[in-house]
Amino acid sequence: MRLPLQVHLFAGGLRAMTRFLLISKEPHIFGSIEAIVDTGSPTTVLGSPDLKRMRVSQIQLQKLESRKEQIAYGGGLVKTKILNGAQLKFGDYFECTMPIQIPVDEIKDCNQPTILGVDFMIQNKFKLVFDPIKKEAYFESSE
Amino acid sequence: MANQELKLLEDFEKNSRWFHKNIDELQKNNFVGKFVAIDNEKPIASNKDINIVIKTIEKDGKNPSLIFIEFVHPKGFTLLL
Repeated sequence: MRLPLQVHLFAGGLRAMTRFLLISKEPHIFGSIEAIVDTGSPTTVLGSPDLKRMRVSQIQLQKLESRKEQIAYGGGLVKTKILNGAQLKFGDYFECTMPIQIPVDEIKDCNQPTILGVDFMIQNKFKLVFDPIKKEAYFESSE
Repeated sequence: MANQELKLLEDFEKNSRWFHKNIDELQKNNFVGKFVAIDNEKPIASNKDINIVIKTIEKDGKNPSLIFIEFVHPKGFTLLL
């Protein structure tokens, strides 16, 4: 099974990117996300701008489980909450349910995008094929 | 995926593609350093503060959760994740 990705020149470099619907029951989230595939990030993190678009309040986030360790994000160290049971729907290609980290500390002028990390690849047994010359990229089932 | 969800994602993808295809024009046309919202393959709101962009979208009766919004970085800027 292949999940096609897009390759765009974004913020100074060619990036493998994807879009999906993010759905959560508690807190209620239903929105479209564009994420950068980042094999340098062990975890999937919802970007601050996307969190604001989803209109999720700090009060709603308080109910979520906290991650003990801070993460390096947007040029600083931030605390995160874990959105368990987030549903990611990639059109007709693929869908999965997995935990996503949400930064709860406000970072001034943070425009860090959503990152699809290695946890997504491990959970779904995907390998990444990325050809920056041909501007082609896709996830492929590694089983 | 339900047809309605598929349509929402397709619209979002269309606007994302437009953004990336037209990034040079956006950079030339005073969008650098701003968040820009794209709908129906054209900019509908922009500001340095994403909260203002979101409020503008809501005033137009649209749901910001489903609208493509991206930050326009200056040419030559490199974002290290």
